[in-house]
Formats: sequence, structure tokens, C-alpha cells
Amino acid sequence: MALLQLSEPGQSTAPHQHRLAVGIDLGTTNSLVATVRSGEAATLPDSQGHHSVPSVVRYSKDRICVGHAAAEHSITDPKNTIVSVKRFMGRGVDDLQVLGKKLPYDFVATDSAVPRIHTAHGDVSATEVSSEILKYMKARAVSALGDELMGAVITVPAYFDDAQRQATKDAARLADINVLRLLNEPTAAAVAYGLDSGQEGVIAIYDLGGGTFDISILRLNKGVFEVLATGGDSALGGDDFDHKIAEWILQQAGVDAATTELDASTVRLLMQQARAAKEALSSVEQVEINVSNTSLNWQGSLSRAQMNDLLDALIKQTILACRRTLRDADVVIENIQQVVMVGGSTRVLRVREKVAEFFACEPLVSIDPDKVVAVGAALQADVLAGNKPGEEMLLLDIIPLSLGLETMGGLVEKIIHRNTPIPVAKAQDFTTYKDGQTAMAIHVVQGERDLVTDCRSLARFDLCGFPPHVAGAARIRVTFQIDADGLLMVSAREQNSGVEASVDVRPSYGLSDNEIETMLRDSMAHAEDDMQTRSLREQQVEGERVLAALDAALTADGKTLLSADERATIDVARAELINMNSKDDADAIKAAIKQVEASCEAFVARRMNSSIKQAMRGHSIDEYATHHEE
Amino acid sequence: MNDDLLTRNFFDLFHMPVRYEMDIDQLQQEYRSLAQAVHPDKYASAGDQERRISMQQTSWINKAYQTLKNPVERAAYLLQMKNIDINLENETTMDAAFLMQQMELRELLEDVRTQADPLATLDTELKNVKAGMQELASGFSEAYQADRLEDAREALRKMQFMQKAHKEIDTLTAKIEDELF
Repeated sequence: MALLQLSEPGQSTAPHQHRLAVGIDLGTTNSLVATVRSGEAATLPDSQGHHSVPSVVRYSKDRICVGHAAAEHSITDPKNTIVSVKRFMGRGVDDLQVLGKKLPYDFVATDSAVPRIHTAHGDVSATEVSSEILKYMKARAVSALGDELMGAVITVPAYFDDAQRQATKDAARLADINVLRLLNEPTAAAVAYGLDSGQEGVIAIYDLGGGTFDISILRLNKGVFEVLATGGDSALGGDDFDHKIAEWILQQAGVDAATTELDASTVRLLMQQARAAKEALSSVEQVEINVSNTSLNWQGSLSRAQMNDLLDALIKQTILACRRTLRDADVVIENIQQVVMVGGSTRVLRVREKVAEFFACEPLVSIDPDKVVAVGAALQADVLAGNKPGEEMLLLDIIPLSLGLETMGGLVEKIIHRNTPIPVAKAQDFTTYKDGQTAMAIHVVQGERDLVTDCRSLARFDLCGFPPHVAGAARIRVTFQIDADGLLMVSAREQNSGVEASVDVRPSYGLSDNEIETMLRDSMAHAEDDMQTRSLREQQVEGERVLAALDAALTADGKTLLSADERATIDVARAELINMNSKDDADAIKAAIKQVEASCEAFVARRMNSSIKQAMRGHSIDEYATHHEE
Repeated sequence: MNDDLLTRNFFDLFHMPVRYEMDIDQLQQEYRSLAQAVHPDKYASAGDQERRISMQQTSWINKAYQTLKNPVERAAYLLQMKNIDINLENETTMDAAFLMQQMELRELLEDVRTQADPLATLDTELKNVKAGMQELASGFSEAYQADRLEDAREALRKMQFMQKAHKEIDTLTAKIEDELF
């Protein structure tokens, strides 16, 4: 165990202080926040005892409200009450049209590809709507725990692409939440079930939420969760079940959905009744439905068998995805030891039946499928915050969809293939096709298809100003780096000239850094002074943290890993930071921190390498000594 | 800066002997224990610098693991370590009998839907491809061990063909299953 502790500098700063960290399940239909208290992870309720918060935001002229209070208005005020916003995250205007004509919102075309919804409070993007939900979750946690949050783990569907992940992280930034990690929902569920303890083997996580479906295959071994493959459909969920039932109701009522234009509040009423019927049919065989308002009037009954017929085609799609993902993981059904059910839509009995039939085993449903993701995220947040020294739990995720570049003829050259473990970096060389070419347009796409038009466009940028060559002689190296959250950074450089041209990534469907800055500033404009005070305080805390970490590192390894000169340089930078930290200039503290970090560059690298060496040495000794436990 | 880890060859990195034969279980164990030491999650509350280094190191380890785990990439990497050009795609000279066999397989795949039981046919072909791959891999291993690098290179090239065929069969099987299911 000593080996691991050496490699965790995060713990050395304040070993006895418990840091408040939460897990947030930012769901399509409902959101939850959970935390670990006295070793137990649990979701946090409001004063009325509700754990789930409807992921609904209502924009009125002078206020924004979230959750139950907003949901009450979804029928009476559909245009200003945004539901299921997760389905719009990272999506462009074209995608929204595919999502269905039945959306009651007024979309506004903007200069960027990000669609905005027109409300009484102004035009809002999906990211902003999500950030309102996150702010609400954060406020709940802060009031329940009575202290500031150190950070949060926010969950996303495993099948979310880069644009959707980026939009989620942007929403967290807008809500002023420090994201410890974007965690895949299925992985969070596996953590919640504690399937790593004492178990080795392969498991499947079937996650059917309100708007997304994920299937993940994981291998467990001594605390390590290794995701082998993931698949699914980021636009298939319980909402689609509701749509099917709603369509059936319309059909029964003799309304031709193709030609009849229904008003927004009738659509909402219909969807609500459809959903209520679906939920009721998990416990009864038959349900009475009554839809009546000024434009629609129908009463009738729906049996479970009838509903099953309506849903079977959708459920089949999920089973097909399971089959493909098993193949990707190179695993056969017989190897699967457990199937974990996640997401409210797995309450539908037909879903459980079909999953049990396909995997030939009874799925695990003992943890509330609505809460399981938030609970798992809280457990991971607790570990990441450094509250569990010596914890062996490690989650190794993969990238769900291939990433590539557009090449001549609108074809995709894949750079990183799906199901590759992350973080990962890969570089590929490209060349020019015209004599004298001095610039190159780089178009980053994500998806499995061969044509650019069939993939998702993530970003475009230009590499400009390299010296002219004959066609084919320039050597442009494009590097993709994916971090542990699954987020992509792309850089490009012309190799022959050695000149590094600057690149500017314009996210196709995300918000640019400038937009986020502006939003943050706008939201705090009236609190300018507060903000300055806060920013100073934040820098001071950061300064203290850096100093504590540095001192711990120097005590441990200063003598062995540093020359006298290097030590002197570090000491100068350290003294400057101590000095600045006692004054009230946030920028100067920031600069002093940078200086300390620069002076420690080599030291940090050496320390990390030495801890790795320790790990490697420790492990190989263990290897030769007949595999006893460490 | 990170010479120690990032310049180490993939085999040394995981304490595996430099050869084609690979104990995959042990590779997995070594991978997991290295990941435990360097993964960014272990540095979640550390400074930007440590987190950046940790990301680079984990990226490197992941790349190494992916390379060694895959039978074709592992072979290519071994030849690269001997400075052999492994860019084989444009070469035309090749074992005629092998090429013939590959063409026959392609034709069979194209018409597989006309077969009485396409899935069974695909299953048989997949088994053949796997067996063929096994054979080529031991051929590679032997040639490499004996330092007959030209032969090893030839084996690698055939393995690349086989890997493509494997993928095509998988894709086709998935498609047909989706249609039938």
C-alpha cells in the first residue's frame, strides 16, 4: 500500500480534512445529487423529501425556476418551460429537426451553429438551461452539507460524443462547479453496486434513461473497472416509449398525427398521460386513459400486452446494440456474469424480460435505478477529492465513437478508433495537394461512417502560414489528445519548417470560451465586487494549496531528487509566493504560482517517475513471489 | 523531461520480454498496476502540471497496452524496433496462392446472403480466418526469433490481410443478424 500513497501527491496537502464533493446525475428527465457521509453514499432530498429533481427549467420574465416548481407549468406554459434539455446538448439546428417536429419550443437561428430557444426571459441555449439545473443541484448540496463544494463528478451517457461532453462541462463551468471528472453513467452504476469488491469477471450495464440508451461491457479486477466496449443510441429512451403510446392514443382518437397540427399544451398533456400509463402498467395489467381538453377528447384503456406490442420494436433496437457491443468487446454472452439495470425506463417490465432473455440471466435491480448513477458518482467524487487514501478503485474508460479528420473527397480518416482506452494521444501526418499551398483547413469529425456528411462535425480550424512546398512535400502533423473526461484537444504543426502555426478551434456546436466568459460575467455583473473578493480568496486558497503540496514534496524527495542549484531556484519562487499570498492582488498570486510551477517542472516529473518506478518494481517483485496479495 | 517513462519501449514498460509470444493475463496485470500509479484520477486534486504529465504518461501507457495486446500491431511494433519499414500496403509482390485465397474469401462474403444459412457460413469463415491468423502468428514468431526479418515481414503483411478479413466478417455478421433478428 505504501507504494500507492507515494504516488498520490493530492493527499499530502491536507490529510485530515474531509473535502466536500458530490456526484451529480444530470438526467434527461430527472437529476439527482448525492454525497458520501460517514462512509455511506446517499442522494440528498429537498425539504419535502423529494430526491429526484425534474430536469425542467421555466423561464418567466423576471425569474428562472427549476425542478418541481417548473414542471407544474409544463402544460400551461410549454414554450417557456424547457423539459428534456439533455437531448439538445451539443446538438445543432439540423439535429433538432430530426429529434421530432413535436417540440413545442420557438427555436431562434443564431450566427453560431448553436440553436437557442426563445423564452420570456430571453433566448437560451441548451448549455445555459443545463447550467440552471446544475446550479439548483449545487445549491441543494451546499444547503444540506453546510459548506462549500470542493468539486463534483458529473455523469454523462457513455455514448455521448465530444460535443455533448463539452456542452456538459461548459454547463458546469457556467454553474461555477469544479468538475472532478465527467463519468460515464454505466461505470457509475457499476461503482454503486460495489461490483469490484471480491469479484473478478465481465459484467454488462444496461442503461435506459429518459432520452438515451447505453450498453457497456466492463471487466472487473481488484478495484479496477476496465470498460471494454460501449455502444448505444444517444437519442433513444423512455421519452420514445411515451411517444409511441401518445401516437397510439391519437390513432385511437381518430386524429391523423401527420396532418393535424396540435397545440403545444395538448402535446404536453398527451405525453404526460402516455407516461403515466406506461408507469402504471409496470404494476397493473390494464390502465384507463383519459385525455381531454379543448382540442382533444378521448377515453379508453390500454393493456400491458398492447403496450408491449407498441414498445417491442424500440426494445429490440436496444438488444441489437447489446449484441454489437458484445462483439466489439470480443466477449460472448456466456462470459457475462452480471447484468446491471440502470435508468428509470428499466422499470418497464417488458424491458427486464427482454434483457433477461437475451443475456440468459436475471438482471440486478436491487438499487433504485433512478438513484444508482448519482450514488456511484458520489463514491467516485469522494475518492477523487482525496477522502479515501489508499483506495484502489480506478475507472478506466474508453472513447465511445471514433475520431478523425476530413480528407480529400469528403472522406474520413480515422485517427483514434472507438473503444480505445482514454486518456490517449495519437498523431498522424498529412500533406498538401497543391503546389505552393501555405495553409490547410482541418475538419475534425466523430463517428463510424466513411463519409464526412454521415459523421458529426466537431470543429474546424485552419493551420496557416507554413512555407510553400511542392504538392505532397509539406508534412503536417495533426495530434489528437483525449483527456480522462473524453474531451478532445487537437493541434497541428508543419514539420519541415519547424514553424508551429497557431490553431484556433471553433467548436461547431459548443460555446466558445469567449461566450462562456461573457455569460459568466453577465451573470455576475451586478456582483462585481463580490467577484473580485471571491477571486482573490480563491487565488489565496490555491496559493496555500500549492505551497502545502510543494513543502510535502520537498520534505519527501527534495534531498534525493534535486541539485543544489535547482533547490535554490525553487526556494526563491517559494518565498515569492509566500510573500504574494499575504497581499491582496489576485493576479500577482497567480503569477507567483506559475513561477513556482515552472521552477518545479523537472522535480515534479522526477517525482512522478520515481513513484512509477516504485510501482513497477513493487509489482514485478510481487510477480516473481507467487502472487500473494500486496 | 519524462525520459524514464515516455522513452521506454513498450515491452520494458510492462516488464515483458521482447518477443512475439505474449502472456496476455500478465500484460493486463502490469497495465492495471501502472495505470494505478499514473492515471489522472490519482491526481484529481493536484496541480495543473502534475495533471498534464499524468495525462501524457497515461496516454503513453494506453498506447503501449493497445499495441501489445493486438497480435498484428505487436508484430509491427517488433519490426519497427528493428528499424524495418512496415509500410507494406503499396507493395505488389506477394504469395500468389495467399492472394488467391483472399480473393475467394471476398467473393464468398459478397454472395453470402444467397447461401442457405449465411450466418453459419460466416461463422465457419471466421473460424478459418482465426486459425489462419494463429498459424501466421506462430510463423512470425519463429521467423522473428531466428532473425529472419524478411520472412517476418511477409508474415506480418499476411496478418494484416487476415485482420481486415476478420473485421469484414464481423461487420457483415452484425448486419445480417440485425436483419434477421
